[in-house]
Amino acid sequence: MESHGKHSGQAHPHTVEGTDPQLHVETHEPAAAADSEAAILTSRPVLLIHGFASCIKLNWTDAGWISALTGAGRRVIAVDLPGHGLSGAPEDMDSYTPSRIRADLLQIVFDAGARPLLEGDPTSGLDVIGYSLGSRLAWEFGATQPELVHRMVLGGPSVLDPLAAFDLPAAQRYLADGTPIADESTAGLLKMAQLLPSNNVFALLSLVEAIKTEPFVPDEAVPRMPVLLVAGDRDERAESMPQLAALLDHAEQLLLPARTHTNAITSRAFKNAALDFLAR
Amino acid sequence: MAEISFPLPDLGEGLIEATVLEWLVAEGDQVERNQPLVEVETTKSSLELPSPQAGKVVRVYGAPGETVNVGEPLIVFEVPDNTAGIVGTVPVEEAPKRRVRLSAVLDED
Repeated sequence: MESHGKHSGQAHPHTVEGTDPQLHVETHEPAAAADSEAAILTSRPVLLIHGFASCIKLNWTDAGWISALTGAGRRVIAVDLPGHGLSGAPEDMDSYTPSRIRADLLQIVFDAGARPLLEGDPTSGLDVIGYSLGSRLAWEFGATQPELVHRMVLGGPSVLDPLAAFDLPAAQRYLADGTPIADESTAGLLKMAQLLPSNNVFALLSLVEAIKTEPFVPDEAVPRMPVLLVAGDRDERAESMPQLAALLDHAEQLLLPARTHTNAITSRAFKNAALDFLAR
Repeated sequence: MAEISFPLPDLGEGLIEATVLEWLVAEGDQVERNQPLVEVETTKSSLELPSPQAGKVVRVYGAPGETVNVGEPLIVFEVPDNTAGIVGTVPVEEAPKRRVRLSAVLDED
């Protein structure tokens, strides 16, 4: 058995719909568990979904979330989205659609030991924490998996999707010959994408293209389980957070003083609120 | 008691400085190794820095909003003398010296 704290970075073995998404998955066992088998039996897993141009390492590990969760006795399943982190960059655009990513996530969590919610069994089901794009994916995941998802924490959430307005031709032109990008939001997102060496920029553009074919429409499918919405109070993208809250049956909201979209993720207040909320 | 100062560690990717977001420990706190110390923000993202070792916090550098350069002091710990490591004096067991005669010594018999 693997010792506690040791993560397994195995390539995702299943193929969904015939193509291998090449997704990198990490599982982290709670500090208290003597071995991973015990952990599977004693704690409800938490799935972590990072944001655009980020990865497990930046969004969760370096930000202190893995240690905070395992330190609180939680078992963690974390995934690098396609084209990000240690995941591969599939050729086909379908691998990057939100619906396909959600199907891959579902397969991943089942492979990692998650099972449907069972009345009276606190180790059954799955909790989900998503940030930014990960929030959007989590919203839809929770909405479509009511028998599996117990509670969710959505950080940096928004009704509007900045990726949907991304100027793809301008970005491609810039990458091809350096023509400056006029749209500020597109320029900023592309800069973020280029900042991390682990990002496959062309794969990220495929992701943007795929997202445009499936824009986020939050009221089309609404999660019915309790959701905690968290954002920095200086995060402009999260101004629409109350609109998301209004769609939910059980929503709680938390604003982090003086935090932006970029630096909210390390907040201790965010982590503590998430741990408390998911444990209820 | 000895004092050890730790710098802002290399954050990779050519980053040379970080802005302090929030201290998670205070002067006077006893901290454990790997305990989260401080949140800092770089041009890339924000991250949480874990404590490189156990000790009592004597001094922290950088109020929230202030910038610290990579390699410059970030935090000072007070530790017991015999755990001071490279700072302070630690008794070192010396390897036995071999004596080498520079001139031949003939055996008696």
